[in-house]
Amino acid sequence: MPGRDGAPAVEVRDLTFRYPGASQDSLHGVDLTIEAGDFVAVVGGNGSGKTTLCKTFNGLVPHFWDGDISGRVKVAGRSTARRTVGDIAHDVGYVFQDFGNQLVRPTVRDDVAFGPLNFGLEDWEARTDAALRALEIDDVAGTHTWQLSGGQQHLTALAGALALAPSILVVDEPAAEVDPRRAAQVYEHLTRLNSQGVTVIVIEHHAELIARYARSVVLMDAGRVRWHLPVDEALARTADLADAHIPAPQVVALAQGLVPDVAAGRRRPPLTVEACAALLREAGRSEQPGAALLRTPDHPGDDGSPTPDGPRGRAARSDVVARLDDVRYGYRTISGGKHTVLDGFDLTLRADERIALVGSNGAGKSTLLSLLSGLAVPETGTVEVDGRDTRSVSAAELSSHVCYLLQRPEEMFLTDSVRSDVAMHPVGRQVPDAEALVDQVLDRTRLAHLADRDGRLLSGGQQRRATLAVGLAMRPRLLLLDEPTSSLDLRSRDDVIEMLAALAEHIRCTVVATHDMHLVAEWADRVVVLDQGRVVADTDPATLFDSPDVLRRARLVPPQVTQVGHALDMNPLPLSVDEMSRRLAPLPTEELV
Amino acid sequence: MTTVDVATPDDTTSGAGSTTSRKRSGLDRMSVEWVKLELMRVAYATRGGFLARRDPRAVLGWYVLCALAPWFTYSTPILVALFVLALGCALAARIGPLLLGLFTLGLVGQAAYVLVLVLVLGGDTTALDGLLQISLKLGAVSLASMAAFVSLDPEKLSDGLQAMRAPAVLGFAISYGYRMVPLLIDEFHDIVDGHRLRGAPHRGHGFLGWRTIARIGRIAVQAFYPLFLNTAQRTRTTVEAMETRGFTSAGPSAAGRRLRLAHLRWTVGDTLLVVATAATIAAVYTFLPTS
Repeated sequence: MPGRDGAPAVEVRDLTFRYPGASQDSLHGVDLTIEAGDFVAVVGGNGSGKTTLCKTFNGLVPHFWDGDISGRVKVAGRSTARRTVGDIAHDVGYVFQDFGNQLVRPTVRDDVAFGPLNFGLEDWEARTDAALRALEIDDVAGTHTWQLSGGQQHLTALAGALALAPSILVVDEPAAEVDPRRAAQVYEHLTRLNSQGVTVIVIEHHAELIARYARSVVLMDAGRVRWHLPVDEALARTADLADAHIPAPQVVALAQGLVPDVAAGRRRPPLTVEACAALLREAGRSEQPGAALLRTPDHPGDDGSPTPDGPRGRAARSDVVARLDDVRYGYRTISGGKHTVLDGFDLTLRADERIALVGSNGAGKSTLLSLLSGLAVPETGTVEVDGRDTRSVSAAELSSHVCYLLQRPEEMFLTDSVRSDVAMHPVGRQVPDAEALVDQVLDRTRLAHLADRDGRLLSGGQQRRATLAVGLAMRPRLLLLDEPTSSLDLRSRDDVIEMLAALAEHIRCTVVATHDMHLVAEWADRVVVLDQGRVVADTDPATLFDSPDVLRRARLVPPQVTQVGHALDMNPLPLSVDEMSRRLAPLPTEELV
Repeated sequence: MTTVDVATPDDTTSGAGSTTSRKRSGLDRMSVEWVKLELMRVAYATRGGFLARRDPRAVLGWYVLCALAPWFTYSTPILVALFVLALGCALAARIGPLLLGLFTLGLVGQAAYVLVLVLVLGGDTTALDGLLQISLKLGAVSLASMAAFVSLDPEKLSDGLQAMRAPAVLGFAISYGYRMVPLLIDEFHDIVDGHRLRGAPHRGHGFLGWRTIARIGRIAVQAFYPLFLNTAQRTRTTVEAMETRGFTSAGPSAAGRRLRLAHLRWTVGDTLLVVATAATIAAVYTFLPTS
């Protein structure tokens, strides 16, 4: 490969770039050197220039986006200024954040072969096969791309880039839209490629993934590179990371809270669960007798009863919001066969429950939500919502009782402004004081200042808030959300979790289908685990995270803090860093000694 | 967009639930799903059929012959023969119930309204003959089109066009269009569902169902705003990605074209198909009365 002998993979000198028509620079005086063979995570808040920086590596900036540019970018020893994007693609593979739109051909094999064929490479078939095999997707090679799961689509996009055998691979947010196990899978592949000499550059929000896989970290801030440091030093700078809305990994936060040496910077923070557990053991941190009583009161299990009724549900046991009884549902497949998703399915949802529906892709979560919303009715069995059989009322009528918020917010934006989207249901149903209701909802979701904008133009976190506002204005008794936190940066995610918690008083029962175990740990009080259309567990989060069989079967990865708790034999398992710190903190009397 | 009409009957059967106690069977939604699947099957040639096995160039050649044949005559017997042949080919190519149903509906519907028009405007029976002729011509061409395009999956179609020196961008546009169809159908479905759930409720069908028709029309038009904007947002990435994957506005390199088309094999069967089709058409023209 040209220019690999000793030259850094990427060399950026004094680079300044401004998009055409923009009022300020997206990149300003950037200097950066990425050595060949490194595994770099680029972090930074929204609008910090991460993606723009990465697009200078493969020449999209300035060849595709021709704004004002000064400075120099060298990739694999050669300047990008006089090469074409297509030419640079042989050195730099790029996987976009919305990777689904990167796939342009109907089948997987065809899409992977697209690049090599376009460049007229004689060995395109061998390259295609090698890329498919390297990512272990050769078994779906003949499948149409729209039939793939998100994880498989991501691997296909990656294979398409790999087929050109680039020496540098740029992946924009690999973990944004897939379940945690699959995110880990993508990273394992990237690590293997990295060990074979490929320089890997990822844009990533998840400090835990950075800690586990990256070797160095670049922090971007307002179009500048603030620093580029080895991963352990980088993650110890928790204040800088917090500024960029990258909360420290839970293991780092735990160690800083509980081990004075780490807090004072005399010692590197642990990057893995094992290292953290070992450090805490060494520091003599174990659970104080009675400390379990300090658990946060809003989680079940504090009264020692991991009951599916939920702690508050027991007071009003009969207050059923929705019930599925012996439900069967399936759909026809393209080949003419029939795929049964749910069979003999029973579930009861009660008032004041916060239910998380978890399980791997295809386990039946979305099907369950559409049955509850009345959009689909069961083949056999009954679904009752608010005491009404969904067969006897139309989905439109049911929408005053149940609200279903789709996974992709842009599909919820039916009009040209947030306000009219929120107003659509109350105005259409001629709810008295609809205007006042809309204003109140917009205030509560902090969207009043954005109310006249098109929802599509908002940031990811604002979009989720806008869909929540749409749901609230419908004043449902049962709120259903599909993946409300997917592809959000961590701060926006915390924002959504906080808002969900705050809204609890206005809604009888909330069901969230999710892959996000932080959401499960911090918000839910009941978790229903689905696997292949069956309920394999129906319990509270702490009990779930203590059931290795269920976790494995449903491909769930507990939050780090829970894993550390498990390693330290804590019982019940801690669900948040705060809770664990309280339980492991030295008792006040000790400090006096 | 055919889905406009079929995606909302769902609504018309269930929307009036407030006044009736009729139970929803789930068939309403199943039928929407069925239309979706049927379109996919058509687009991706999953049913097989005699044309699906042939080289795409032969299929395109076959199509050109069949599509041109009916336009050179005013003889009803020849047109009937060509129509029957086209129908036979369409069935042998397994075009499936959806296309066949829509086709029949379109043909019969059109014939009926033109007939009414002719009679109202004082035409006589000779007009009927002309009407029959144009219906047969259009019918034969439509059937041949359906047979050809049901049998060509997007790859074969774009390869076939490229092999015949059509611009690379055209071939790409076709295969990309096919790729987007399932996404657009799903998205359209979700948006229409959104309108049903969040929009003003259904207030009965009205005289001759005018309310229902007005509502379906309004939703269909309103659904295009989000559909277009969402699609525009998607394609931004697609355009950048194509640049990085060597597909510039000039299309792939000449070497790329050669490699992509290397798998096409013109066999005896392909020659036979084109020759037999030409011979049959010639025979029809020769042996049947020309006026």
